[in-house]
Amino acid sequence: MVTDLNSAIWNTLAAFLTFCIFSFLYKDNPFYKIAEHIVVGVSAGYFAVLLYWDGLVPKLWDPIVKQGKWYYLIPGLLGVMMLTRFSKRLSWISRFSISFYMGIATGVAVPLYIQNYVIRQLSSTMLPVHFKNPTGFFNLLIVIGVLCALIYFFFSKEHKGAMGSAAKVGIWTLMIGFGAGFGLTVMGRVSLLIDRVIFLKNYFTSIFGHIL
Amino acid sequence: MSFYEKLMKLDRRWIYLTVAIAVVIPVLVPFKVPVYVTPEAKAVYDFVENTKSGEIIFLAIDYDPNAMAELQPMARAIMRQAFSKNVKLLISALSQNGPGMAEQLISQISKEYNKKNGVDYVYLGYKPYFGIVILAMGQNFRIPFPADYYGTPLDSLPMMDGVRNYDDVKGIISIVGGNIAEAWINYANGRYKAKVFMGVTGVMTADYYPFLQSGQLSGLLGGLKGASEYERLAKQEGVATEGMSIQTIAHIVVIGFIVLGNVGFFMSKRKKSKENI
Amino acid sequence: MRRPPFFKFFYLFFSSALLFSFYSLAQAQEPSSPAWFDKNRVNVLLVLVLFFAFVLYFINRAQKGKSLFVRRIPGLDAIEEAVGRATEMGKPILYISGIEDMDNLQTVASMIILGNVAEMVAAYEVPLLVPVCQPFVVTVAEESVKQGYAKAGKPEAYNPNNVRFLTSEQFAYASGVNGIMLREKPAANFMFGSFYAESLLMAETGLSTGAIQVAGTANIHQLPFFVVACDFTLIGEELFAASAYLSKEPKLLGSLKGSDLAKLLIMIILILGVILETTGVTKFTSWFFVQ
Repeated sequence: MVTDLNSAIWNTLAAFLTFCIFSFLYKDNPFYKIAEHIVVGVSAGYFAVLLYWDGLVPKLWDPIVKQGKWYYLIPGLLGVMMLTRFSKRLSWISRFSISFYMGIATGVAVPLYIQNYVIRQLSSTMLPVHFKNPTGFFNLLIVIGVLCALIYFFFSKEHKGAMGSAAKVGIWTLMIGFGAGFGLTVMGRVSLLIDRVIFLKNYFTSIFGHIL
Repeated sequence: MSFYEKLMKLDRRWIYLTVAIAVVIPVLVPFKVPVYVTPEAKAVYDFVENTKSGEIIFLAIDYDPNAMAELQPMARAIMRQAFSKNVKLLISALSQNGPGMAEQLISQISKEYNKKNGVDYVYLGYKPYFGIVILAMGQNFRIPFPADYYGTPLDSLPMMDGVRNYDDVKGIISIVGGNIAEAWINYANGRYKAKVFMGVTGVMTADYYPFLQSGQLSGLLGGLKGASEYERLAKQEGVATEGMSIQTIAHIVVIGFIVLGNVGFFMSKRKKSKENI
Repeated sequence: MRRPPFFKFFYLFFSSALLFSFYSLAQAQEPSSPAWFDKNRVNVLLVLVLFFAFVLYFINRAQKGKSLFVRRIPGLDAIEEAVGRATEMGKPILYISGIEDMDNLQTVASMIILGNVAEMVAAYEVPLLVPVCQPFVVTVAEESVKQGYAKAGKPEAYNPNNVRFLTSEQFAYASGVNGIMLREKPAANFMFGSFYAESLLMAETGLSTGAIQVAGTANIHQLPFFVVACDFTLIGEELFAASAYLSKEPKLLGSLKGSDLAKLLIMIILILGVILETTGVTKFTSWFFVQ
């Protein structure tokens, strides 16, 4: 890990910032604030530069200036019109760009969302239910869970009687799902901690290896 | 204050300390745990394994450094397996803070296998608005990426000869840490019917099992566990496999605290109701 | 309010862009070549048309003043109870509207609920603290609270200093809110809107101060954290249903009723599909599969 002075400096900085962030676990303090501000500033600056060189230059400047595609000025103008949003007097101009963008985004996204999140999911939930083998029983659980969860989110009728019972089963299904999600979140966060601890171990091993 | 009330009011910093110790000790005193492979992880491995030499896989390294811990082991293992079989890789990095990190990984792995840029792999880099980029690549990779990450026009790269869009690659493996995953499913699979495999963070895994069940995803790697399964299949034991033993101890500690907390909750509730009577 | 004449151009622009997108999306007899109409996606078109028809029908009914029944959301009772408790204890109420800007629908729903909370709170003369994460949301929050106080007949009780901008930075906002919770010790915390990783930080701090907490978000990953740390949670669509229920806005009500009808249709189709699949008839299910 630490092979020369250059890597020693950057890895030492990384280890220091790691400890600064971890210090928040005890109490909020200036070291944590420094590390947080560095991360925010670096990611904002990095993204700004990336947006310029990978967005603005190849997508607007080069086509207009180098390739002579003057029609790129039209989307360029729409982009500039977006910036008028910051002016109280001129903000109405940005509505053109926003309408155009929202129209395209909605038109592209809505049919695909209906296809992928409703129709495909609906067809894959139409499962044969039986008790010949565990698969049939689990299919029944899936179907009941989906129906009861949908009933829970049905707002046009009071949750009373059979509907109330089904809604209760629905909320239980949701809670089991949340539990699974919570468990996976814990796993994900522990993985991040493991990575940092392994980094610190490797850092200290290589630093002390060099010193000794 | 009774024992159960003390338990309920336990300072969270004791929990942090205990979890930290539970993670540090296995790092310093490593041991192995068996890794069981799930069918969805095997599907991803089999896809790469059954790809013939010279065929192209689209690898989307769509995560930021904040998800690197869980996803980098997956990306590394997949790239190593692909290069060892002389499978070509077309790589993109659609997450805004990820291109530099992806480039580092690609350079490191390609050097190990002596692979040449433009011949054995092409790194497209980053373009903003991933939804539009994924949609446009379905028509032609050159629409969002006229040149690769290093500025070389795609048409001048030998590997891109005759490669227009998703129809010309065997499939897409997306290693993703955010909502870019939805865009791959909606646009690449939903619109262009490309075969999509996914590697996601632990937090996101539960959300994408319905897509695996419906066939919209052909394989799924979930978090560090998924990465360790892939490493086991590819016989490349690395960081993810090392992390499984540490994860086991940490999870046991967390489960212990959850059980204690629930015991404390119900016992103190019971005590209060007895006092009220 | 009379709309400016150029408003029509926006509708024209929007509609043209929408139609253009539908056309461009209808491309592809084969996956990557253009065509006028994709026969393989007729089922998608039918479902879309049906869904739009449901929503437009109910919006039309709501605009004509016909009453549309929406059941009471249990979380709203919890809000009233929390306001009552704060009054008894003489402590303030804290309202957090999420970290996203007004372009997020959850923030819009949160502002509607804020207006109703402000109306409740004004009647009891309890301080309402509203720390805000986005600059533009401050003006909307101020307006919502002011209107709430005015509706309750107590416009003079409105304190503009209680609605304040903290910071746009996610975790800095969370630590600011935590600071308010620890110093002011509110009796009730309401968290409605779009939240991310800072949700548990704030909910846990609120729990430690002993406040009643009611939360609502459509961000699925944050729901488990709110469920464990709050007394009541509005899950997903309940947040939008609560805003429709409270505001009685025709478009919101109509959308809610339209989506309810779509859900009913989905349930019926699902039951039918399961019965047919169980009896070995697969043709019905295959109609829903996009080739």
